[in-house]
Amino acid sequence: MNSWLRHQKHALTAALRRLAGQPVSTLLTALAMGVALSLPAGLYLMLGNLSRLAGDLPAQPEISVYLADDASAAQKAALAERLKQADVERARFIARDEALAALSAAQGLDDVAADLPDNPLPDAWVVRPRDASRGALIHLHDELARQPGVAETQLDSAWAERLQSLLALGRTGVWLLAALFAVALAAISGNAIRAQVLARRDEILVSRLIGATDRYVRRPFLYLGAVQGLLGGLAAAAVLAIAGAALRGPIEHLATLYGSAWRLHPPAAPEILALFAFTTLFGWLGAWISVGRTLRRVEAGG
Amino acid sequence: MISFSQVSKRYPGGHEALSDVNLQIDKGELIFLTGHSGAGKSTFLKLIAAIERPSHGVVSVSGQNVGRLSRRAVPYLRRNIGLVFQDHKLLFDRNAIENVVLPLDIAGVLRRESMKRARAVLDKVGLLAREKADPVSLSGGEQQRLCIARALVARPALLLADEPTGNLDAGYAADIMAMFRDFHQVGTTLVIATHDDRALAALGGRILHFDHGRVTEAQP
Repeated sequence: MNSWLRHQKHALTAALRRLAGQPVSTLLTALAMGVALSLPAGLYLMLGNLSRLAGDLPAQPEISVYLADDASAAQKAALAERLKQADVERARFIARDEALAALSAAQGLDDVAADLPDNPLPDAWVVRPRDASRGALIHLHDELARQPGVAETQLDSAWAERLQSLLALGRTGVWLLAALFAVALAAISGNAIRAQVLARRDEILVSRLIGATDRYVRRPFLYLGAVQGLLGGLAAAAVLAIAGAALRGPIEHLATLYGSAWRLHPPAAPEILALFAFTTLFGWLGAWISVGRTLRRVEAGG
Repeated sequence: MISFSQVSKRYPGGHEALSDVNLQIDKGELIFLTGHSGAGKSTFLKLIAAIERPSHGVVSVSGQNVGRLSRRAVPYLRRNIGLVFQDHKLLFDRNAIENVVLPLDIAGVLRRESMKRARAVLDKVGLLAREKADPVSLSGGEQQRLCIARALVARPALLLADEPTGNLDAGYAADIMAMFRDFHQVGTTLVIATHDDRALAALGGRILHFDHGRVTEAQP
């Protein structure tokens, strides 16, 4: 092990010892960070669940495909074959007679229908795409419109577009909140580190007198900030887990009342890891900003 | 090894602690600084260790102009200097041997090796049996010996001591001075500020007398 690694290890163990030496203040700082972070993180999870819900809703966007009157049997078969591919979740065929029957029955238009010399309605497919995102919808719509034997297609996407833009707005909001709370996190960390530096005044001054470099003095405090940030991330995860456990029952009950089998989804492992990386980084950053300023003050005062 | 050339030090507020000091200290010398308190002895030591910078003139240690050292270079100068303080400056949040090991930790020495060296130096100052003791539980003389052990553990070529026996009674003071004589005999350069005249007579060495910031050579 070279001396650089040895210094890192020394600084990390010193940082851990200092945290363990003040369990109450360590816990309180982690809790402050956790509560602050649980707001943007919770919103993020809520949005994720909402987009999932949007995917499950019966009011999913649909594409209506109207066949030409003179479409050949081969063309119809080819289209039916195309609609069995993976990007189509479900496709329902509505024959023209069936459509006319439904029209006259449902809308009370049987007089009108009876007066018609011919059935004016075409054969049609109602297609539900698997991917409800705007790009995928338009792509599938355009492809179906180009199929031979297809007279007209209609994309019923206004509802989906509105929902998507609402979710996009929500996501922007989450990132803005996350940025704000990152600053708060760095400030909390910086403040905790400042107290630590002031409490270690004697050690710092003596170390300087016997040949400690700036980096040697600074390093344990940077690790302290990073570990404190990680603890804050763990606290946020704990807050979210508790909130999730409390909300799960009522939400699933509500979903059942609406006849939906929708369930609350916990965050995925990469998302949790990203949260920890994020809090560790900002804990470190807060420490880095604070430690330089405080050290200068300590040394000027000593 | 150390040279002062036209060195003055004026503190903010106007007090001139040293004025126009010119002198040379060779490798392996034993130097005593005498004079009443406030005469400039501490300032003289602080200038050598780059704790203070001269207002005027050049202080050089082993050929380096100490007054112009960059902030980044100062730690490496200090690693070659052992410092003994009147108030020990021990850390009370760790035991005796952890205090001694601190300079080696800072220099990045292997833990096992530094513990070995710390025990050797604790043995030399007669504290090996107290290695696990809390510094608070040590007597004044033992604390001072611990401070000396910390100053010596990195085997510096130069030892600076500011009133090392100032707070000690005569018996302890004599022990410590005897210890310094031993280090001098193995070739360490020692600069010791003291007003303990008994020590001067016993140890010999060169005496620099400080009076209101001016330095004169005195005969023992």
